[in-house]
Amino acid sequence: MNRIAALLGKELADLRSNPAVFVPAIITGAISIVMPFVIAVAVPYFSGERLADSSDFRIALEIYRDQPATRSLDPEGAIQAMIFQQFLILLVLTPVAGAMSVAAYAVVGEKQARTLEPLLSTPITTFELLAAKVLGALVPGIVLVTVCFALYVGGVTLFAHPGVYRTLFYPRALLTIFLLGPLASLAALQMAVCVSSRVNDARSAQQIGALIILPISVLLIAEFTNNLQLTSRLVLLISSGLAALNIALMAVGIRLFDRESILTRWK
Amino acid sequence: MPFQPALVASHLTRRFDTRVAVDDVSLELAPGEIFALLGPNGAGKTTTLRMLAGLIRPSSGTVHVEGRIGFLTEAPGLWDRLTVERNLMVYARLHGLDDPARAVDEALDLFDIGSRKRDRAAQLSKGLKQRVALARTLLHRPDIVLLDEPTSGLDPESARDVRELILRLRSERRAVLISTHNLDEVQRVADRVAVLRARLIALDTPAALRARLFGSRVRVRLARAAAPFADVLKPALTDVQVEDRTLSIAVSDVETAAPGIVRALVQAGADVVSVVADEAPLEEVYLRLLGPASRSARSGQDPSTRFARSGQDQEKP
Repeated sequence: MNRIAALLGKELADLRSNPAVFVPAIITGAISIVMPFVIAVAVPYFSGERLADSSDFRIALEIYRDQPATRSLDPEGAIQAMIFQQFLILLVLTPVAGAMSVAAYAVVGEKQARTLEPLLSTPITTFELLAAKVLGALVPGIVLVTVCFALYVGGVTLFAHPGVYRTLFYPRALLTIFLLGPLASLAALQMAVCVSSRVNDARSAQQIGALIILPISVLLIAEFTNNLQLTSRLVLLISSGLAALNIALMAVGIRLFDRESILTRWK
Repeated sequence: MPFQPALVASHLTRRFDTRVAVDDVSLELAPGEIFALLGPNGAGKTTTLRMLAGLIRPSSGTVHVEGRIGFLTEAPGLWDRLTVERNLMVYARLHGLDDPARAVDEALDLFDIGSRKRDRAAQLSKGLKQRVALARTLLHRPDIVLLDEPTSGLDPESARDVRELILRLRSERRAVLISTHNLDEVQRVADRVAVLRARLIALDTPAALRARLFGSRVRVRLARAAAPFADVLKPALTDVQVEDRTLSIAVSDVETAAPGIVRALVQAGADVVSVVADEAPLEEVYLRLLGPASRSARSGQDPSTRFARSGQDQEKP
């Protein structure tokens, strides 16, 4: 654990000295925060047309009015709550986007900077090395998503109908942000680090790791089209699957990390 | 007197697909010994060092190590965006040192880089980076130090600092193995030399290699023309060459022969100005070993391969 902490400290210090690497994540986070406010608050405000009067939201309203979280809200508040809940999934992508470039560069970068060989000549194990690399990308991502969530809640409290903000503290929302999100990020990062261990080019690792965005996008679309409702139970179920996937990915990562090949064949 | 080796490599072979990078290399390294590994590019020096450091596995053969290893890689390999202190601190913690901060401070003092500890590694000159890398290599007080081209690309002053450090390591009874192209450096510091081209072509002390390939000669400079004094030394010494005021005499051992030569010349009325051992530069030794004759040694037919075996049987100088 000490060696993981030592290398993790290095990864975080490295990031602090190069914060530009998190610009994509900050942009993703900003878009995730702003978009639902545009739809749920700005458009009705400037158009003068209430969401509850729109036929587009009629079916959604029927579904959401029955939810415990939105039962006490007026129709406009219920639709706003629905929109803010659905966009939480987009917020989940924030740490993924932010950490992907960091993780993709994890092993390739060390090799290209010729820092990997001295590192491997220490007693560090492959598990410790990969764990530190993954955590080095995950921790800043989680900090970023937490900050984004705080801004999101603050914005909802200020601009949405009274009581809407409470829906963001229901288990489903919290599980999405603080369980599903980190586990999805972890899976993406591990995929990126695994690929980073096998390719000579950070961009390849970044592209493969980004594949995790696809299933999350499917969830988002399914929710938007009312084909799926992310309940707490479903979030927990998906999170369990992701946890298992993460364990498998770590095992695969350790197998794929071939020290000898990295040292002797990469140029 | 037999020594207790700090490192023993036996019949190390490493293949990459069909290419044999290192072929049946055996060597021993004693505490307090500086051992130089010479060879052209692609001779397998770095691969050998990596096997000794445990970074890659030999295809066959074994490495036995008594103590901890410190490995200076060919490139300094510092994290450019981190400070010097932070670079070392990470390694101190990776090595599990009890008091990492103290170990780092000591290393910074040892290499006289304390004043640069808050600088980012990217801001350092190549020489300073190499010093930091050396400090990193020695942080955990290794008993065996493997240095891959430690003075490559350094200016003469930095290279001298590194050589002084290597000598200091010997005085601390650490075993040092240097892989290098710098023959001048080897001549100055190495106790034993191995010449590698996939296989060991030769392994011995520099003096022994010189003597085997070129013989030993004494150069005596006189105040007057040397020709009249050449016969004074014969018939005891048969190979006496005359060059103006200098005699070059082939001997079996410089230290034992030189006093008698001087005595004989003085008794014959010569004014001796200087007496020096006429040593072939190590570069000549190296080039001869890697010449066409030694190339055929890889097929096992050249007598120079005997050097490797006899060298390994030698006691520590």
